Amino acid sequence: MKPVLQTLGIAMRNRWTIETPALLLLAMLVAAPALLGQEPAASRASDSQTIQLLLERVAELEAKVKKMDQLEARVKQLEAEKQPPVSTPSAPAPAQTTAASEKEMEPQEEPPVPERMDVSKTLLRIRGFGDINLHGDSQKGDTTSFTLGQLNLFVTSDISERFKFLSEIIFEGGPDNIYGVTTGQNNTFSVDVERYLIEYSQSDYFKLAAGRWHTAIGYYNTAYHHSTWFQTAADRPFLFAFEDRGGILPIHSVGVSASGLIPSGRLGLHYVAEVGNGRASRTPLTEEPVQNVIDDQNHKAYNLALFARPEAVQGLQVGFSAYRDLLAPVGMPRVDETILAAHAVFVRPSFEWLNEALVVHHAPLGLPRAFNTPGFYSQVSKKFGSYRPYFRYQYVNASNTEPIFPDIKLRQGPSVGVRFDASEWVALKLQYDYTVLRQQPAVSALAMQIGFTF
Amino acid sequence: MLRRAHVLFILVCAAPLGGALLGCAFAFAQFTAHEQSAAERNLAIVVNLSNPVNGLTTADLRRVFLGERGHWPNGRRITLVMLEPGWPERDAVLSSIYHMDETEFSNHFLHGLFTGEVFVSPKTLSTPEGVRKFIFNVPGAIGYLRASDVDKTVKVIRIDERLPGEKGYKLHVPPRENR
Repeated sequence: MKPVLQTLGIAMRNRWTIETPALLLLAMLVAAPALLGQEPAASRASDSQTIQLLLERVAELEAKVKKMDQLEARVKQLEAEKQPPVSTPSAPAPAQTTAASEKEMEPQEEPPVPERMDVSKTLLRIRGFGDINLHGDSQKGDTTSFTLGQLNLFVTSDISERFKFLSEIIFEGGPDNIYGVTTGQNNTFSVDVERYLIEYSQSDYFKLAAGRWHTAIGYYNTAYHHSTWFQTAADRPFLFAFEDRGGILPIHSVGVSASGLIPSGRLGLHYVAEVGNGRASRTPLTEEPVQNVIDDQNHKAYNLALFARPEAVQGLQVGFSAYRDLLAPVGMPRVDETILAAHAVFVRPSFEWLNEALVVHHAPLGLPRAFNTPGFYSQVSKKFGSYRPYFRYQYVNASNTEPIFPDIKLRQGPSVGVRFDASEWVALKLQYDYTVLRQQPAVSALAMQIGFTF
Repeated sequence: MLRRAHVLFILVCAAPLGGALLGCAFAFAQFTAHEQSAAERNLAIVVNLSNPVNGLTTADLRRVFLGERGHWPNGRRITLVMLEPGWPERDAVLSSIYHMDETEFSNHFLHGLFTGEVFVSPKTLSTPEGVRKFIFNVPGAIGYLRASDVDKTVKVIRIDERLPGEKGYKLHVPPRENR
């Protein structure tokens, strides 16, 4: 009886919500006189017969309802199998859950078992990023060229509730440029595993990762990684250029990293603590600057970063980091390296203002002189519909006798550009750079880029 | 004759009583309709029955929905459940919790996963029934439903110490017929 009533109740609920009580009362009033006129001596046998008939009828109806439910479920299953998923912005999409997932979603009496790896299917998720460029500049010897940028396969996998794998596999063409030393062919491609991490998440206050990561120096390095599509400008600020593209910072490191929240209420404090191999320091470098497999010494590099995301100002992040390493260049005394960085960024979907400053301190052991290389950049952009014009000014000033990167010297100047989001996942960028160099003519450069994710 | 008079007498006596009862019934029906309408318009934040959390502040709710919080106090990983694009409930969550549109929402999670700050992306389901069943089955799940779609298989949590329907409750969704 109950299922029938429930079914009827569900079917009629919408139409009869208001009228039902009133109609029931009216029926009672109309039926009252008739009831009064009934004979109390009505046959009990007749009643029991009627009840019996009604019960049989109810059982029959229940069977029919059950059959209808089965048919309805089957129709839904067939429809889901036949129709491709369609979702329109104006109306809810029809139920598209497959029969298998429906079964998976059915409420279970048993408590759910912990997630397990299904060996019959892959747990990999792959997201791709890429960019293609046209670049020309006024520097002597350079040619205007179409350039294939990095092809980035971002691979992740939820291994279990607390473990996750993450990697960035990069295919990139062109020679390496490490502290001014150029190696490799102009037009051949190579593969780099730029990030390679297994992460353990104990709680929001403690996460541990092991592998190869982007060092938490400043903001830019851990915000954009190897995707030009995410970043507003066509390229990274010079301060955060990759090691094999002439950059001055240890962008990558191999080791272990801990991170998490610091209980701080509305201040939103976070920490990152890293211990790794640091960068290779034997100059001149002709090979991989990141010590992926063998550290050239027992000393390890350390980095500690603290930053705040105050609740009162959504989009604001301020922080600093301190990085320490001991470098061992060939034929030179060891060099004590300290990198201090600070940042204040304000990032909202329609507006961003990035400000970072750092100093790289190199102190050769046993020598009286130390070398400080200061640098900063400031970048501001505002979104107007699909267009986002931006402006950046950057500066880095290294001594001509800097022991680790003697090729950098002074570089400063503005960049202006515009990003146009041609679709949700494709961005076109046009950027002009004017860079002043020490003891060399200034360089003007124009770049066009199409960056995308897939 | 007597019988007809008897019936007439009963009808005359019953008429005022019937009228009064009809009035009460009408008022009750109106009240019920109003209650149902209110339940349609309120958006409930729901979690698994085993979740010890009974309430969140608006700020904490936003952090959870943004993926900035990955674990419940009992250590369970938070699994966020979203309805597919097009559902008014999703639109309400995007505007009142995320303050984002669909593109910004996609970018936020793509970027969060890319940087590693978001541990897992939200689970997207096609119907409120699916959301309810998923939350019933997954201890760390959190999602949203119209208050009228809530049943005993999930737990409604307080937002800023208020339940759906209580005065000052902030999460609302347009009625179904208006979508």
